Amino acid sequence: MTERTLMGGNIAIAEGAILAGCGAYFGYPITPQNDLLEHMSQRMPALGRIFLQSESELAGINMVYGAAATGIRCMTSTSSPGFSLQQEGISYMAGAEVPCVVANIMRAGPGLGNIGGAQGDYKQCTRGGGHGDYYLITLVPASVQEMMDLTMLAFELADKYRNPTLIMADGFLGQSVESIVMREPVKKLPDKNWAITGAKGREKRLINSFEMNPLDHPKRIALLLEKYERMRIDEVRYEGMRLDDAEIVVVAYGSVARAAMTAIKMAQQHNWKVGLLRPITVFPFPYQPLSDLAEKGCKFIVAEMSSGQMLEDVRLAVGSQNEIKLVNTYGGVPLTADQIFEAIDLMI
Amino acid sequence: MEALSIYVPKLVTPKEYIASGHRACSGCGEVLAVRYVCKALSRNTIISNATGCMEIISSQLPQTAWEVPWIHTLFENAAAVASGIESGLKARKRKYGYDKEIKVVAMGGDGGTADIGLQALSGAMERGHDFIYVCYDNEAYMNTGIQRSSETPFGASTTTAPSGKVSIGQHTWKKNMAAIAAAHDIPYVATSCSSYPFDIMYKIEKAMKIKGPSYIHILAVCPTGWRCPSNATIRVGRLAVESGVFPIYEIENGKYTLNLDYPKLRPVADYLKSQGRFRHLTEENVAVIQEKVLEEYNRIKTLSHMRKKSK
Repeated sequence: MTERTLMGGNIAIAEGAILAGCGAYFGYPITPQNDLLEHMSQRMPALGRIFLQSESELAGINMVYGAAATGIRCMTSTSSPGFSLQQEGISYMAGAEVPCVVANIMRAGPGLGNIGGAQGDYKQCTRGGGHGDYYLITLVPASVQEMMDLTMLAFELADKYRNPTLIMADGFLGQSVESIVMREPVKKLPDKNWAITGAKGREKRLINSFEMNPLDHPKRIALLLEKYERMRIDEVRYEGMRLDDAEIVVVAYGSVARAAMTAIKMAQQHNWKVGLLRPITVFPFPYQPLSDLAEKGCKFIVAEMSSGQMLEDVRLAVGSQNEIKLVNTYGGVPLTADQIFEAIDLMI
Repeated sequence: MEALSIYVPKLVTPKEYIASGHRACSGCGEVLAVRYVCKALSRNTIISNATGCMEIISSQLPQTAWEVPWIHTLFENAAAVASGIESGLKARKRKYGYDKEIKVVAMGGDGGTADIGLQALSGAMERGHDFIYVCYDNEAYMNTGIQRSSETPFGASTTTAPSGKVSIGQHTWKKNMAAIAAAHDIPYVATSCSSYPFDIMYKIEKAMKIKGPSYIHILAVCPTGWRCPSNATIRVGRLAVESGVFPIYEIENGKYTLNLDYPKLRPVADYLKSQGRFRHLTEENVAVIQEKVLEEYNRIKTLSHMRKKSK
């Protein structure tokens, strides 16, 4: 199917989830992801699937825990303050190895902050977020098309690794409307031989994240860590633009990456050699391609809508030899192509 | 309270503790209720305000509409923060000889009270903090765009409980928060409505004199979410009370008093027809609602010990 449709970013996540076979959606109102919730409230019952509005984000994520434990694909969506509330539930699901998809349509914090788009949850999303040693694959779409595609991918990865998977997008992207190509629905959903479905006629199954024995719990964690290591090897995704002969590399994700693309086109008109590295996963982070570019002697500009949270990952990848500059906004203010171009201009 | 005095003007302070220039929608019944509550509270108070319409419209930096000490809390925590303030003041009194009598007041919308904030509210009422909790109930998450809450009435169409071929909209009945509060055995529980200023002020003044937790549930008309004209706010609120949809009563130490009793209630259809959110309802739906409303009204009436006037 190559039919093009006009769609909003949040709606594309909802439709992507429906295509991926999401059987139940649980959510709670919070701006700027309300249209996702509202869209699901109409679509899911009409498809004979489950839509439930929870009484809080805390209840929402734990409804997901319960529903996912029965072996169905399910998800919740929220925005930054609500995502903070969900950390306990996500940690439990990571510990109990129950797959789900969580979409965090980020807004500015800390505290209530405001409802402008932001990227201030970067560390929370890429470092586990809740308590304990765990990580989540974090996908960062940069277009409405990717909102749909990466949501479908998120369900695949969640099931593949039996781990919650995050969609991390900013409020500006959630509210963007673009033309997209509709995808085919997923026909066959994976078998889940661990799901709790009533033990009549088979061995009992147990879902928990709890191990009191100090000799056994480390073994369990080691298995999780080994899983995260496999993610680091197999699931790194990124996109490069004009990187071959680049002297300056802009690193940006989400809606900022779109502004960066414009800034790079502006730089090209001056015949400046500027490229873009756009992470599509921020956990696992594309450290290796950035290290390779650093070895070639590139300079780096990190563009993001936070105090410089991704900057730390880029520093880890690049080391101390190459020049790295941060161009950023925070507090719900979009980062423009002009600002990024200005940073390129200063570095040239 | 004498039933008539509800309509009769009396001396009210001209002072305003929520200043004009706030950003509420035109015809907002909720900010009207806040205004009356604050008039009754005066300035010797600390308000702990949950996230919601009232916080957003009144506190956008660098401005504030509040003329009283005010603290913004998370969506779910107004009662917990109020518990903390009350304890903090207690500690000041014990340790530093602080001697002012200050009433702590927690405020939240219906979502922040009946949904996400219920746990904190229940804890605060159970521990018996000396505070007033005021719920401004506009029957949905209006601040985020009219999503259903557990206070949304049966049959109302909202953005997450939309009416259509599959559903009539909200298909559960309004959660009875006054009964939940009363089940905590607190000294004072009351309901009121934004169309009855003297009733609100009377109940707040009463709650201020009480030691321990009070819970006041105010139906706040929301023209934006209820889909009614903004000049109909007062009328729609009166219709809710006069049709028995939202009875106004008090529960003092477990004793019910129906403050406003009508010999003959208006049909609920009068109330339902005044708002777009109910416009899809069929006559059968209305009949179901009518029956349920009468049942609940009569329950409260039976429980109530109406104080007969002896003139």
